[in-house]
Amino acid sequence: MIGIEDCLSEAMTIPGALDAILVDHTSGMAVAAEGVPYPEGSAAGLSEAFRATLDGLALSTPDGTIRIEDVIVTTDRAYHLIKPMETMFDGPLLICLRLDPERANLALALRRLQAISHRLIAS
Amino acid sequence: MATSTLDSVLAGLAQDKATGSLRVGRNGTIFLTRGRVSYAECTGTPNVEELLTASGRISANAVRKARQVVSADPDPVNGGDLLVGKGVLTRGELEFCVLGATLDASFFLLDTALDTTGARPGPRSRFRDGERHWLGTHWFFDVPGLFRECRRRKARLDRAWPSTELDTQPVIPVRRIPGRHVVLTAVQWEVLLGADTTATPAELARRLGRPAYSTLLAVRELGAAGLLATRVEPAAPSPPTLPRRGDRSGPRAELRPGSGQDAAEPYLPQVSADPTDVNLLIRLRDALEALQ
Repeated sequence: MIGIEDCLSEAMTIPGALDAILVDHTSGMAVAAEGVPYPEGSAAGLSEAFRATLDGLALSTPDGTIRIEDVIVTTDRAYHLIKPMETMFDGPLLICLRLDPERANLALALRRLQAISHRLIAS
Repeated sequence: MATSTLDSVLAGLAQDKATGSLRVGRNGTIFLTRGRVSYAECTGTPNVEELLTASGRISANAVRKARQVVSADPDPVNGGDLLVGKGVLTRGELEFCVLGATLDASFFLLDTALDTTGARPGPRSRFRDGERHWLGTHWFFDVPGLFRECRRRKARLDRAWPSTELDTQPVIPVRRIPGRHVVLTAVQWEVLLGADTTATPAELARRLGRPAYSTLLAVRELGAAGLLATRVEPAAPSPPTLPRRGDRSGPRAELRPGSGQDAAEPYLPQVSADPTDVNLLIRLRDALEALQ
């Protein structure tokens, strides 16, 4: 079992990791960040991106409810991964990782993030 | 000390790298560890124990036992570590919960200090040197950072729905939705399900085991979506008669123009002196000037 700071430093050991940030989705606050130049702006933006994805997919899903495991966005310069971690007492905590596409392996990164999130929050 | 404002008291304690508890009137307590805020609780928001137990994460019994151990021990043991050590909670959950409860309480405790007009005097505060919270220290905020975050949260709330009208009123969902289809977040769902037409957002938060801020945000979002009964219409040109709250004859609540999908009249944005709007205009002007 790990804490918030360890969770970030472990995420940064994933091959190809460029930066990582933990975001409180409800308020869009940067909880902790590593290698991110403007954590507050990044947190707000990532939180909005996640919200838009949730809303959009909820509308396009036949059963109307949606539970996102990971959001994967590939851009011309990076892979962006957003993984929500549900907590019992507040809206999800998002762990967001930016990866160098030259060095990263997406499948491996997803597995590692999954493992980290399970050790951070058990519920 | 009695005349100084809460932010100056906190800034002073931060500068002195003080450790102890600052009681803010009757509203709550802010705990500091070496000049940084490590925990806060407010009478209007659920505290860590309530968040953990009301949400069903851990039993009230586990909390009580840990508390007893801490108070019985002559050496100050750390209640949080005890819970993590027993495996009832992960370190990440404990930290996130402490962080969440602290921000939540601070948002309401620092409310008067955030009011930059200085019209309202803050409540008296009293500092007790060396007093710690039984859970121990698990997360820190520096004092300016905490104020910054509270201000940001306030702006976030106003972006969702720029009226404080719904904040302290009982939450009353409309009987028919202003459309055929709505998308709800998990907290919004819980709020609608928990709303019994008498509970205010703060009471709902406690009942649901959700932070008061998250609940308030959900309530304002529901208000903006036209899903809650409201008494006045913020941007409306004085409607002649408004159906009263709980009026049986009118199942439809007042809706903000433009919030419904097929609103006939064009919706004009409200004019505000919000600094973010002003900043945007300044940036826009600078960008236009740079183009020339």
